Amino acid sequence: MVFNEKITNPAELRHVQGRIELYWIYTSGEAGDVFFKKLRDEGKFTASKCRKCGHVFFPPRIYCEFDFSETEYMEISGEGCVLAFSVISYDSDGNRLEKPEIYALIGMDGTDGKIIHLLGEIEPENIETGMKVVPVLKPKDQREGKITDILYFKPVS
Amino acid sequence: MVRVAVVGAGYSGFNANSPDLSWKEITYEAAVRAYEDAGINPRRDIDAVVTCAEDFWEGFAIFDEFCPDQLGGVLKPTFTVTADFLFGLANGVMLIKSGLAEIAVVEAHSKASDILTFGNVVKFAYDPVWLRPVGRGHPFYLAALEKSYYSNLRGYCDYTYAEVVAKNRKNGRLNPDAPYSADLTADDVLSSEPLFYPLRKLEIAERSDGAVVFVLAKGDIARELNPEPVWIDGVGWNSETSNYDTMSFTAVYAMKAAEMAYDMAGIENPAKEIDVAEVDDRFAYKEVQHIEALKLAKAGEVDELLESGYFGRKGEIPVNVSGGSLSVGNLLEATGAQKALEIVLQLRGEAGRRQVDAEIGVAQVWRYLPTATGAVAVFSR
Repeated sequence: MVFNEKITNPAELRHVQGRIELYWIYTSGEAGDVFFKKLRDEGKFTASKCRKCGHVFFPPRIYCEFDFSETEYMEISGEGCVLAFSVISYDSDGNRLEKPEIYALIGMDGTDGKIIHLLGEIEPENIETGMKVVPVLKPKDQREGKITDILYFKPVS
Repeated sequence: MVRVAVVGAGYSGFNANSPDLSWKEITYEAAVRAYEDAGINPRRDIDAVVTCAEDFWEGFAIFDEFCPDQLGGVLKPTFTVTADFLFGLANGVMLIKSGLAEIAVVEAHSKASDILTFGNVVKFAYDPVWLRPVGRGHPFYLAALEKSYYSNLRGYCDYTYAEVVAKNRKNGRLNPDAPYSADLTADDVLSSEPLFYPLRKLEIAERSDGAVVFVLAKGDIARELNPEPVWIDGVGWNSETSNYDTMSFTAVYAMKAAEMAYDMAGIENPAKEIDVAEVDDRFAYKEVQHIEALKLAKAGEVDELLESGYFGRKGEIPVNVSGGSLSVGNLLEATGAQKALEIVLQLRGEAGRRQVDAEIGVAQVWRYLPTATGAVAVFSR
């Protein structure tokens, strides 16, 4: 039986280290295109409303996942309120971050939707759920049409 | 009606790491034990093989090509379900109920210790346009947000989750295959640093290695192989959505999966009929969500029941008597397999010092971050 012959000296154990370099282009899609171009060029936020049930989606999308019908775009303020937040001390590799990052689940005003993004210009001990927040964007000349064009959300002063 | 039973169960592990064996070899070890347990020769007797794996956990693509040999499944109908073991189990049940197979094998494993960039693999599952580029934080932030949202909704406080951790880590002390078992108190948990506030490190299941193989058989054949097999009375699975803006954050996926499985099993009052449950506790708050979703307690009432010992090893409905993933470790796609295995051992009376008295048991699993997907299986003896 093969398992009678187990290696008992860990110094004899072998392994091969591997890495995979992978690259993709992720298309933002039609709804993403509308959103990110409007954000980049005008600093404005777009949601989408189901033509049938009226659910207002944020992030916007071209179809309604509840009744599978089409949606129409609508402009929203981009402001919202904190539904939940977390303070993260480590990065994806497990290394301690110099400064913890605050992630928040934000209910977007005028929609049934939410965004998950960072909170800034506030210390964790001062955050409360229900707190009103507004987006802080990169300066227009630095915006690329990506979710990172939003630097973070900050409390209404 | 065709009934399906578990006639053989084998496992290898569960260990914090396993540098002496490859993932194929731990699977082979589990398979040999399962076939021995079932009293079958796989090269002669099995009709189909279902494996459960996700390419990114494995570190190579087209995983399904790598799996027939270690299971004795070469030149047999084989496919891989890219999901947890309980989804594979449901597929095995369907293979037999449909008449395509009389004996089917279901396998899942974890070689989590081989993964050098766990956080990045998890983050790779996040929406690449809307979510992945946000911040540099560890992807556990999503679980932390869900915990925060859910706790506010239900009014549960951190003490409840700390009790889950203490219960499960202590339960694991009676399970020889629970590498993370520990004699912890709720206060120990509460005084540990919240590295992913409001999540504490002790509320998060560490990773472990292992493999589980089940042999399923059609009713009459099952009885020939084993006069007292464990029956699979119901299976269910469900996905809410992939969008964080429409997810419930209350484990509706588990409730729907449970309703499907209970309906198939003819269970009308789960809290009265279920004797033992193994639920996904890879984050402590998930156990509380899942207890509610399985209808073992009413929403908002889990805290008091936990405190009273209702879900303890000697309570009304023991939950995670194996020690759960908090003690056994996060077995990736084999997480549900360890939970189903525990239910099978309990129903067979083979659970050793952690044995509870049970006739009907339920195993439940979530598909881990960032999903709102899960599966449930109901077993009886």
